[in-house]
Amino acid sequence: MRVEVLRAIDGLDLPEEYRAFLRPGETETDSSRNVHRLPRFFYEVRSWPEAQELRLAPHFTLAELMLVDCREARPLLSQFPHYVPCAIIILARLLEDFRHEVGAPVFIAANGGYRSPAHQIEGAKSIHAWGTAANIYRIGDTFLCDTKSIEKHRTIAASLSPAVFVRPFGREKGQTSDHLHIDLGYVRLTPRECSEAS
Amino acid sequence: MSDVEVFSTLNEELERLAAKSKARAIAVAVHDLETGFRFSLLGDRWFHAASTIKVAMLLAIFRAVDEGRLQLDDSLHVRNRFFSVADGSLFHLSPDRDATPELYQTVGRTAKISALAHAMISGSSNLATNLLLDFVGVEYARKVLRDAEVHEVELRRGVEDHAAHERGINNEATANGLVTLLSAIRGDFLTDESKQEVIRILLEQRFNSMIPARLPAHAAVAHKTGEISTACHDVGIVYLPERQPYIAVILTEFEPDRNGRRETVAAISEVIYRSVVGRDPNPNAS
Repeated sequence: MRVEVLRAIDGLDLPEEYRAFLRPGETETDSSRNVHRLPRFFYEVRSWPEAQELRLAPHFTLAELMLVDCREARPLLSQFPHYVPCAIIILARLLEDFRHEVGAPVFIAANGGYRSPAHQIEGAKSIHAWGTAANIYRIGDTFLCDTKSIEKHRTIAASLSPAVFVRPFGREKGQTSDHLHIDLGYVRLTPRECSEAS
Repeated sequence: MSDVEVFSTLNEELERLAAKSKARAIAVAVHDLETGFRFSLLGDRWFHAASTIKVAMLLAIFRAVDEGRLQLDDSLHVRNRFFSVADGSLFHLSPDRDATPELYQTVGRTAKISALAHAMISGSSNLATNLLLDFVGVEYARKVLRDAEVHEVELRRGVEDHAAHERGINNEATANGLVTLLSAIRGDFLTDESKQEVIRILLEQRFNSMIPARLPAHAAVAHKTGEISTACHDVGIVYLPERQPYIAVILTEFEPDRNGRRETVAAISEVIYRSVVGRDPNPNAS
């Protein structure tokens, strides 16, 4: 199944139940006190099988980038349709490039792709709420859980684009010790057929 | 035999076994739900709870289910990364020191809460225990114990939290406290559905070399063992088809890594059976 089958929707048109969790277009302040606007446009995902079938890139399905655990807001966890920010297709492209560079399958952790602003892990303060970040816990047979494996792949990921940020290995805030965090910043994507008026 | 006679006989037998085992301390508590008979030897002495604390966690998880805080079908991210309750420092568990190393193969993915609860008890998984505790929180688990009026089981931290251990922050329990905990599981603290599920999980215990070892084959034991270098425990509910069950808690403390610890606990279990049920568990054994 190809990405063209996804229907882009304006989050502001969603029912209140969803808007309360997704907060389309609202602002959020990060830990550096920078203000960012949350995604407004989303792809509608009608079922989990659809997410499993839909390839955003040759080696990445949508399901891999939206797998969350029960810390996600209940309606976004247990009922469909789901909504994912449109920028997730750019993330998938980045991951595909990364996979090509490392030459091995890349595994995204649960809660490691898109998480809604209502997710209990950091919520809207996390860049994962933009759908532009991925936590990679394994590459091929290598679990990324030590300095060597994380720093090696960090260098590769950072070489892909100046827009790519990768957290360093470490046990302090802003560092990682059991996965590789890679993100593209607070990118928001407006599909051609959507209007930002209003 | 009267309760006084049973008490006296049990006391004598246990003292004999304690002397023979060279244990630093042995505590035993029994509650027979058929007759109401209660027995306690050093029942108020505090021990390192080791993995018996996982029974308290099990109670907390199912209380959370009953309160609608979580669902057994919910999935949890399996992640080997935890923070010490002592200083917030990060620590990881070692599969080599875990009785369920296979769960580490699921790191990065998700596991159902029901599967984690099962692994925590039947396989004594440290990883499952810490994941569940991390999710519900130490304070919530402690509140559940208070609400259940289990006052002599202190759940303070997850497993393998060495920074906390170095500061003396440990999970501890008394034999009497663990009887109260098992009684809470059997009582009306949980819904019937949760109670049955908790007992089913305890019945599926994989480590059966202590309380069940010398009991008759038709005995079913819902139990949890706990072993660290100096402690060797088993706590459980013994079900026999011909009568109401009895609760048995056996806590022991030895010099580090001393041999024969499990055999001592198994021998104590046999003595308890003989005293409570009134007959030899294996009459034809030589």
